[in-house]
Amino acid sequence: MAGDWASGRYRAWYAGLLRLYPRPFRVRFGEAMAQTFGDLCREQRGVAWMLPVFCETFAGMIRENMMYMPDLGRTMVRVALGALVALMAPLVGSRVVPGWNWPVKAFVLVYVLFFLTGMAYALISRRMGAWSYKAGVGVALVAGFAFGWSNMVHTSESDNPANLLYFSVLAVGCVGAWLARLRAGGLAWTLFAMVATLGVVAVMVPSGAPPYHERNAVGHVAYAVLFGVAGLLFRHANRAAGPAAP
Amino acid sequence: MAKRNTAQGPLTPAVLHILLALSTEERHGYGIMKQVEADSKGAVKMGPGTLYGSIARMMEAGLVRESGKRVAVGMGDERRIYYTLTGAGRAALEAELARYRGVVAVAAGRLAYGG
Repeated sequence: MAGDWASGRYRAWYAGLLRLYPRPFRVRFGEAMAQTFGDLCREQRGVAWMLPVFCETFAGMIRENMMYMPDLGRTMVRVALGALVALMAPLVGSRVVPGWNWPVKAFVLVYVLFFLTGMAYALISRRMGAWSYKAGVGVALVAGFAFGWSNMVHTSESDNPANLLYFSVLAVGCVGAWLARLRAGGLAWTLFAMVATLGVVAVMVPSGAPPYHERNAVGHVAYAVLFGVAGLLFRHANRAAGPAAP
Repeated sequence: MAKRNTAQGPLTPAVLHILLALSTEERHGYGIMKQVEADSKGAVKMGPGTLYGSIARMMEAGLVRESGKRVAVGMGDERRIYYTLTGAGRAALEAELARYRGVVAVAAGRLAYGG
């Protein structure tokens, strides 16, 4: 029998996994599943039994999420078409802007990133009906995408590995979103934390040669404003929903 | 999956085992898991993800229903949800067992003929 302390910890992990189930399923079966896991904890010895149970529940979580999304296929088609339309911008740009010579794989990469960003928006924004939540997700994803892309380009152009520190802003966003379980209140704090991280990194890393400074300063301010606006939108959504916020 | 788990069968293995476990009495989730393990002599070990996913689909198909929430003897003071077979569930189980008997009869005839 696992010790009380360890057992409590395993149950907490399992409860965290159950939170990833679709809300209607979780409301109906979450408590019973947690009880059943607790029964297993009481009965089983060691920890070897736990990995298959976690894997099996994880697979169940994916299956239930797929089942609660009957329009997932349609959403994917819509996002794929939207990504194709968005791809027209770099396609046309590469035709008319001198020196813009992307190889085919760069267009493929951009298309995949557009598609993934679009799918992230489609899947996350449906968690809440509030317009401010949807707008916050949109602004945060667009700003995050642009920030990641421009930073990647800047890092490769400047040959200064210290610029990789800027990716810590996105890391803060990912970890914060995970910890917040995509709830509006937690996402608001996450976006504000991203602004703070950006400020700290901008002070720590003087980016590139002097001609870069002015352009970078404008970029820093623009991204800080976008992340901040997204944070305010999430805070608005959280206040509008009150205790019922997901 | 719900469409398959009706009286027209065939049933998925998980659904068949759950129906079998509930055929004698109503049980809570952990009780179903233990009964399935006992019925299959340890060959089938169902985790909570498969069990409750199947129960969800079976409730949707009208094969099982919740029969109440109460404390289980010897399992602490937590109240547990019990599940029981519906008439459609029993009919589906009987139809599936009849199908199995038919398959076994055909197989036995073939093997006898072949032997």
